[in-house]
Amino acid sequence: MSAETADVVVIGAGVLGAAAAFHLARAGHDVAVVDRGAPGREGSGTTAGNLHVQAVHTRRPGQDVPLDSARFLPLQRAASDRWETVEAELETSVELRRSGGFTIAETPAQRAELIAKHAWEERAGLRTEVLDGDTARAELPLLGPTVTAATWCPLDGYANPLLATPAYLDAAVRHGARLHPFRRVHAVERSGSGWRVRAGDLTVDAAKVVNVAGPWIAEVAALAGLRLHMTPVAIQMHLTVRLPGTLRHLVQHIGEGLSVKQVSAGNLLIGGGWPALRLEPEGRSPVSMASVLGNLTQAARILPFVRGLRLLRAWAGPLAATPDEMPVIGEVPGAPGFLVGGGTYAFTFAPLWGETLRCLVEGAPAPVEIGDLGPGRLAGSPERATPPFEEAR
Amino acid sequence: MSARDVVIVGGGPAGLAAAARLASAGLAVTLVDEQPELGGQYYRRPSPATLRAHGDHRPAGGRLIRLVRRLGVECLTGHLVWGVADDARTLLVSGRPGSAVRLRARHVIIATGAYERTHPFPGWQLPGVTTPGFAQHLAAADGTAIGERVLVAGSGPFLLPVACSLLDLGVHVVGVAEAGRPYRPSGRALTSLRHPARLRELAAYTARLAAARVPLWQDRVVVRADGAGRVSSVTLAAGADPAVPLRTLDVDALCVGYGFRPQADLARLLGCAVRTDPVSGDAVPVTDRYGLSSRPDVYIAGEAAGIGGVHLAETRGLTAAAHILARRDRASGPARREVLHLAARRRRLASFTALSESLYPAPGDLADLLAPALPGDTTVCRCEAVTAADVRATARLASGDLNATKARTRAGMGPCQGRFCGFAVAALARHATGAVPPGAAGGTASDEARECGAHPPTGGPVFPSRQPIRPVPVESLLALGADDDGEDA
Repeated sequence: MSAETADVVVIGAGVLGAAAAFHLARAGHDVAVVDRGAPGREGSGTTAGNLHVQAVHTRRPGQDVPLDSARFLPLQRAASDRWETVEAELETSVELRRSGGFTIAETPAQRAELIAKHAWEERAGLRTEVLDGDTARAELPLLGPTVTAATWCPLDGYANPLLATPAYLDAAVRHGARLHPFRRVHAVERSGSGWRVRAGDLTVDAAKVVNVAGPWIAEVAALAGLRLHMTPVAIQMHLTVRLPGTLRHLVQHIGEGLSVKQVSAGNLLIGGGWPALRLEPEGRSPVSMASVLGNLTQAARILPFVRGLRLLRAWAGPLAATPDEMPVIGEVPGAPGFLVGGGTYAFTFAPLWGETLRCLVEGAPAPVEIGDLGPGRLAGSPERATPPFEEAR
Repeated sequence: MSARDVVIVGGGPAGLAAAARLASAGLAVTLVDEQPELGGQYYRRPSPATLRAHGDHRPAGGRLIRLVRRLGVECLTGHLVWGVADDARTLLVSGRPGSAVRLRARHVIIATGAYERTHPFPGWQLPGVTTPGFAQHLAAADGTAIGERVLVAGSGPFLLPVACSLLDLGVHVVGVAEAGRPYRPSGRALTSLRHPARLRELAAYTARLAAARVPLWQDRVVVRADGAGRVSSVTLAAGADPAVPLRTLDVDALCVGYGFRPQADLARLLGCAVRTDPVSGDAVPVTDRYGLSSRPDVYIAGEAAGIGGVHLAETRGLTAAAHILARRDRASGPARREVLHLAARRRRLASFTALSESLYPAPGDLADLLAPALPGDTTVCRCEAVTAADVRATARLASGDLNATKARTRAGMGPCQGRFCGFAVAALARHATGAVPPGAAGGTASDEARECGAHPPTGGPVFPSRQPIRPVPVESLLALGADDDGEDA
C-alpha cells in the first residue's frame, strides 16, 4: 500500500489524460495519473488518429443520433487549430501532417448533404471547396467512378496516436507529473473538501479529480456515486501492408463510415467507425469480420487501387460515445472538483480539452464555449443502462 | 445443416492421417493446406525433377497423400485459412488471388503445424542466413543446397537430420553447433533406451555426421554473422557467456534455429483456451488426451498441439479422427477401443518427447540467456527495422507491457506479425524491466484478460492473435462478398 497527495488526480492515461496531465503539470500543479492498464493502450492506442476539420459524416455505422454539425464544426475548428503548437510544446514529433482531405459523396442525397455541410463550414470560417465528380477525380485520380461530388479541406490531417499519447505523458512527467500504470481505480470518495481515489494498492488524496477514463468514464463516475449516461462502443481499424507513397490525402465519405489515409510508415489505414463484434471491457475487443468486409468493400469502391493491396491487420478499440454524440467536458453538477472529459473524436480534441481541463481546475475561463457540453446533460435518461456498477450499488 | 462433417486445416502428417481415417469411415472431409501440394513440412513433395533425380525421400508421405485423394477427401491446396467469421465457426479461406471460400463443418481439426523458433543476433538479416527448416525444404523438395560451406546451429534434435540432408547433397558442413549439452551419457539419456526406435534414428544421424568428420559442438550459440552482401563468417560463444566469442567460422550459409513452436493462431481465433507452456513460454492450446480443445467441435492435432515429431503428430491426428468417429457412434465398442488404444500410444510417444525435450535447453531459458547479451544495435524486428536498444528503452517506459512496447516501437507490426521476433521482443522486454521470467507466471486462458489486470502482465510472451492470420489479398477478401452470413462454400 502506498499513499500520496496531489493537487489533481487524473484517471485514465489515454490521450486526454496525458494532455490534461501535461497542461496541469506545466502550469505548476502537482499531478498524479492512474490507469487500469498500460498507458495509451485502449482507444488512444487503437484510434486511426485522424484530425477531422471539415465536417465528418454525421453517422458512424450503428450511431443512433446524427451529429449536430452546426454546433460541432466550430469546436472541431478550434480543436484542429490547437494541434498546431503541440509538437513545439512537447518538443518532439507526433507525425502531425496537414495533408488535406476529401469528403466524397455518391448518391444525390449525399451530394446535397455535402453542399449543406459546405454552408455550415463557411459559417464556421472553414475554407472548403465543393467539387463535382470529374473535378475531384482530376484532383485525386485514385477516386473511383461512383464518386459524384467531393469537398476539399486543406486543413484535414492526422497525427500518429502511438506517438501522441506517449509524447504528452513524457512531457507531463518531465514537468513533475507522476504516472501510475496498472492501477485500477476501485474507490472514489469525498475526503474533506477534496477527493480520495483508491487505485490498486495506491491511495491518492487530491483537491480535484479529472475523470478521462474513456469507455470506463461512467464506471468511474459511478464509484463516486455519480450517474453519467454514456454509450461506450468498440470500433475497428484495418491496415494494409506498406506501399510506396500513393495517397497523400485523407479520404472520407459523407454518407457512410469510411476514412482512408496512408500513414507515415506507408501502410494504408482504413476505418470509419465500423463496429467490432462486441466491446470487451477486459482485454481486446474482438474484430467483426462483417465489419472488415463491409469497410474494405467501401474502400475498394471509392479507391479502386485498394483492391490490389493486402490486408495486414485488423483491430478494435473502444470509444466513449455520448448519447448525443457531442463531446462531454466540465464539472459534474453537485460534485465540486469532479471533472470529466470525453466523447467521440477525443483524439482530435485532446490538445484543446487538455488545456480546457487545466482552465477548469484553475477556475479560469475555457478557451472555447463549453457551457452546453457539461456532464449535467448526461445525468438522466437511464433507458440504456450504464455498465453493471449501477445495479450493484 | 452442412453436408461437410469435418474440416481439417493443414495437410501434414497429422492432417493427412486424420483425413484418411475419417474418409475411410465414410465421412465428408475437406482438407485445406496453403501449399500447392499436400504433405506439410515433413512429407513435403519433391519437385518432379528432384523426384526423377533422387526419388522420393519420404515415400510414406506419398502413399498417405494418394490414399487421402483416393478416399475422396476434398483437398483444397493453395488455400489459406486466414480468419473466422462472426459466428465463431465459419472459416474464411483465400485461394488464388480473387477467389475465396467459407468453410463450415460439424468438427474442425486444426493441424497447422509449427513455426521455427528464431532468435535474433547481429547479422541475422544477411542473405545466406536461414532456418534449418528452410534448408531442409530446399534440400528435400528441390535437391538444392543452401550453400557450399554451411554451419548448422541452434538447438534441438532437428539439427542432425538437416546436417545429414546437406551432406547427402555434397555440402561441406563445417559443423553442428548445439546450444545445450544433450549428446552425452546421462541418467536421462539412458532412459531413452525405452524408446529404441527413436534412439536408433538419432544414433544413425550422429554416426553419419561422425563418418563425414563433421564436428558436433555442444554448449555453443551463434552470436553474430558477418559478411559484405552475404554471410561469410559466423561467431560462436558458450551459451552461458554469449558476450565472449570463442570461435569464428568461414561459411557461405548459416542455418540457425531453436526448435519449433506450435502455430496456435487459428485455435486462438476460434476462442479455444490456450495456456502458457511453463518450459517453452509458448502459447499452447489446451487439449484433453484426445486432442479436443476447450470447444466441443474443435480438435488440435499434430505439432499445433505441442511439439513432438512426426510419429506423435500422426498419432494425434488419428486420435482426433477416432474420437470424432466414436462420438458419432456412441454404442460402438470397437470405436471406443480404437480411441483408447491411440490415446495410450499417444501417451507413450509424448513421454519420449518430454524426455527428449528435457535433454535440450528450455526455449524460455535460452531466450533469457541470449536476449540480455544482444548488442543494442541488433535489428530485432526485421520487418520494421527495430533494434534491441529501441525495444529495451521502450519496454522500460511501458512498464514491460508487451503490447505497449509493440505499439511504441512497431516491433511485430510488419508482414510477419511478430512470428519471427515476438519471442525475442518479449524476452528483451522482460529483461529491460526485470519482470518475472517465463514459467514463474504460467497462466491459462486468462492471458489476454490479464492485459488489464492490476499488474503488468507476465507470461504469455506472445502478441495477441489477429485476423488475418497472414496478410490476405483484399481482392480475395472481397470475393467473400460484403455479406458475412456464415454461409457454406
